[in-house]
Amino acid sequence: MSPKPATIAELARDYREGRARASDVIARTMDAIERSEPGLNAFVSTRRDKAMDEARAADAAFDEGRPVGTLAGIPIAVKDNMHIRGEPTTCASRILENYVPPYHSTAVDRLRSAGAIVVGKTNMDEFAMGSSTENSAFSPTRNPRDPERVPGGSSGGSAAAVAAGLVPAALGSDTGGSIRQPASFCGVVGLKPTYGRVSRYGLVAFGSSLDQIGPLTGSVADTARILQAIAGFDPLDSTSADVPAPDWIRELDAPVQGTKVGVPKEYFADGMDAGVAERVRAGIDRLEGLGCRIEELSLPHTEFAVATYYLICTAEASSNLARYDGVRYGLRAGGDTLQSMYRRTRMAGFGPEVKRRILLGTYALSAGYYDAYYLKAQKVRTLILEDFRKAFERVDLLVTPTTPTPAFRIGENIDDPLAMYLNDIFTTTCNLAGLPGVSVPCGRIGRLPVGMQLIGKHFDEGAVLRAAHHFEQAGGFDG
Amino acid sequence: MKISAADVAYVAALANLDVGDGEKDALASQLSRIVQYVEQLEQLDTAAVEPTAQVVADGGRAERGDRVEPRDGSSEAAETVGLFRVPKVIGER
Repeated sequence: MSPKPATIAELARDYREGRARASDVIARTMDAIERSEPGLNAFVSTRRDKAMDEARAADAAFDEGRPVGTLAGIPIAVKDNMHIRGEPTTCASRILENYVPPYHSTAVDRLRSAGAIVVGKTNMDEFAMGSSTENSAFSPTRNPRDPERVPGGSSGGSAAAVAAGLVPAALGSDTGGSIRQPASFCGVVGLKPTYGRVSRYGLVAFGSSLDQIGPLTGSVADTARILQAIAGFDPLDSTSADVPAPDWIRELDAPVQGTKVGVPKEYFADGMDAGVAERVRAGIDRLEGLGCRIEELSLPHTEFAVATYYLICTAEASSNLARYDGVRYGLRAGGDTLQSMYRRTRMAGFGPEVKRRILLGTYALSAGYYDAYYLKAQKVRTLILEDFRKAFERVDLLVTPTTPTPAFRIGENIDDPLAMYLNDIFTTTCNLAGLPGVSVPCGRIGRLPVGMQLIGKHFDEGAVLRAAHHFEQAGGFDG
Repeated sequence: MKISAADVAYVAALANLDVGDGEKDALASQLSRIVQYVEQLEQLDTAAVEPTAQVVADGGRAERGDRVEPRDGSSEAAETVGLFRVPKVIGER
């Protein structure tokens, strides 16, 4: 294992004290990416020339003593479903292979305004649909901890880039676990903020009532730093929440003694890997050792979350992806009529999992089935939300495993969509309920990392990050 | 509910997907398994439960004032792709 890569805090201090230069750091980063890419395939595209220009500008600002942002000169990777104006966004799909967005996504724009330097766009499951990054049109990403295994998904490229030490931080998006599950599989920290905390403007839509952008980093403190930069109200996203953003970095060290942490018994059910259960149980003991008060409770509708999630997300996806019709986004297949052009373009441009989800979502919304499937799922979503509301009357946080197993082998689940979906069993609930959740490393099984998930109340990322930070500082769980 | 190849063809047409004959059976069996799985929701009595479309937490602002505001990128949209050339649609049936 290579030495532990620098954190954002360490890099920022080195820049401030003149012990490092952004142009050197970015050049080294680009070289390291070039060396690791043939095996890892974490990136869809890199932007060496632009990143080097930005690094020289950062150096000049440091040299001249001009004020710089909190992330000045920090190399960051961005999942390839968020826009940078004038540069390609592919969503790892053939249908967007030649698409160049004419606007910035708010989250990336805010990172760059804080001085961060985007080094490249990371690989993902096509349109963020998947749990392994095997659904990318541009080949799978490998898990840096074990190259025979998947990095998780859909933000697998972002998790792998951080885990491989190529960047201290990356942005991902999480619709049903797509930040937390790859963070768990790769042994890094990954946060899905509260729905509405981070603007979705310029994020390619998948399941609009579930999607949320968040950080993947090597430490909880760095997750807080990225969240601080990207959070906040944005008039360009009608679901963006106009609530104040506290100083998460400062609050990390506040005490956790007396924090009430609930352990939902449904998340430790049969069928879970015994090694995962053991390490998460040990993690819970560690939280107790830090002064948290642990209490078992029940979230009775948990077993229905995956079914509810796959009806809602596919219905929303079928609607969102209707726009890719061959007219506006680059790819266009020939056809004798307008209708045949639409159909051939979509057939040529979408991969198998995307087509499957569009078909399932269209089915769930179609006449005669809407009430039985889509409306039913929306009602069960209410019950799941209600479970959490009741739990949070008693406790401040919930703790669960992030995934039922450690990273599986490449190809293991690819022919069985339902088995792949069941990997999301512990993560979809946060999205359905709009709650913030973080995955933090809590040990390993052999080489394979295990993640522990902490879930908080709406907009209480502070409590989630604080408990995760104290847990990480207590040590011994290096991803 | 079991999904047949004919159901796949019907839904594919609704979704503007041109699914080939060779793929329909495989898709029908995969979708059948998924639909049978999601049908576990039938166990729950939801007669008195309101649906949740979206968890818009406190403070969401769905509307803004009806004012023109300068917007990043709108003039570049056409420039980037050289205007939108669309297929001929008039004169077809």
